[in-house]
Amino acid sequence: MAGKYFFVDTTRCTACRGCQIACKNWNKQRASKTTQYGSYQNPSDLDGNTFRLVRFMEHPSKQNSMVWYFFTEACRHCLKPACQKKADQIKKGAIVVNDFGAVLFTKETKELEKAFKAIKQACPWSIPTWNKKDRQIVKCHMCHDRVAAGLPTSCSKACPTGALNFGEEAAIKKLANERLAAAKKKFGGKGEILDLDDVRVLYLIIDEQSKYRPVAI
Amino acid sequence: MALTRREFLKWSGSAGAAAAALCLGFDLKPVQSYASELKILKAKESTTICPYCAVGCGLIAHQKKSGKLLNTEGDPDHPINEGSLCAKGAALFQMTVNKARIRTPLYRAPESDEWEEIEWEDALEMIAERVKKTRDATFTQKNDKGQVVNRTTGIAHVGSAALDNEECWVLQGIMRALGLVFIEHQARI
Repeated sequence: MAGKYFFVDTTRCTACRGCQIACKNWNKQRASKTTQYGSYQNPSDLDGNTFRLVRFMEHPSKQNSMVWYFFTEACRHCLKPACQKKADQIKKGAIVVNDFGAVLFTKETKELEKAFKAIKQACPWSIPTWNKKDRQIVKCHMCHDRVAAGLPTSCSKACPTGALNFGEEAAIKKLANERLAAAKKKFGGKGEILDLDDVRVLYLIIDEQSKYRPVAI
Repeated sequence: MALTRREFLKWSGSAGAAAAALCLGFDLKPVQSYASELKILKAKESTTICPYCAVGCGLIAHQKKSGKLLNTEGDPDHPINEGSLCAKGAALFQMTVNKARIRTPLYRAPESDEWEEIEWEDALEMIAERVKKTRDATFTQKNDKGQVVNRTTGIAHVGSAALDNEECWVLQGIMRALGLVFIEHQARI
């Protein structure tokens, strides 16, 4: 099934967090109360008020004193969503996939409170979160209302550096391959695109996967 | 069947939507129950400039019919940012719609540790009074060498990146007329 895809070129991300705030702005989400824990990353993880988060990862490096990787993270909108499979066992239709591939948590996820942990664990990236105010499971919904009206997603529209891109499958995969070639040239042959055949959010990275997010699978 | 042009458009529109839904060939019911109408679909659009830094990114402000601000987002037609925004620009909406926003001037009396809300009129009068007093007390017509300077060093003015060209012109006019020489910009401090 063709549909919409994201492409994230992590080599271009400056961690301005424009995408994170544009997401919050479109969804009119309040700030989450956080405490200083020694990182610029804020909040420390996705929560009921945060569907998209820019992760800041610091590592010592042989060439430079350190490397700092930025990773804008949200739901990957899997082609075969494990969360949907899990939820269908309890309530069919609570998690649906729409015509352009967005994985959507409907209001019926209100009835899945007891299964929330299982659904979160089913996700390879533990993306789903519980919204205490609306009492339902929430996550990125690919701005389905905007995309259906022909607009780009809020996050990709805001990206000033061209790191976060959104569009039709063919165009995005073409762009991803071009950027991969450019990254390999620039970073001495390093570079790969993650989960090309499984998800609708393609990440281009130039180092080990585990250096971009805490629990990479 | 006699149809007016308007009725014809209405009729053909709904038929088109129904045909499109059928063509997709799968059950859309759960998705439809989730889908909501785009909230900015019928909003009035006006353009504005981000007030935070000197880059001057363009934004579109979506308004309800009542005039209430509904949403702000980057203006794709603006030559500076072409639709993109940083975190501060993307959060511009909450500069207007915000419970934490201060709505009246606040006054803290000397040696007091409390802010009290005062009327705009009182505040402006208070400021004008103090400006006049300080300016008259510190105004110098000639410097030590006897050169005409017509200046005051008792007042300084701090502008901000949020000021636009026209505001800056007016401020320069007023401040220079008062004889100020310390006219600065927040970004250089």
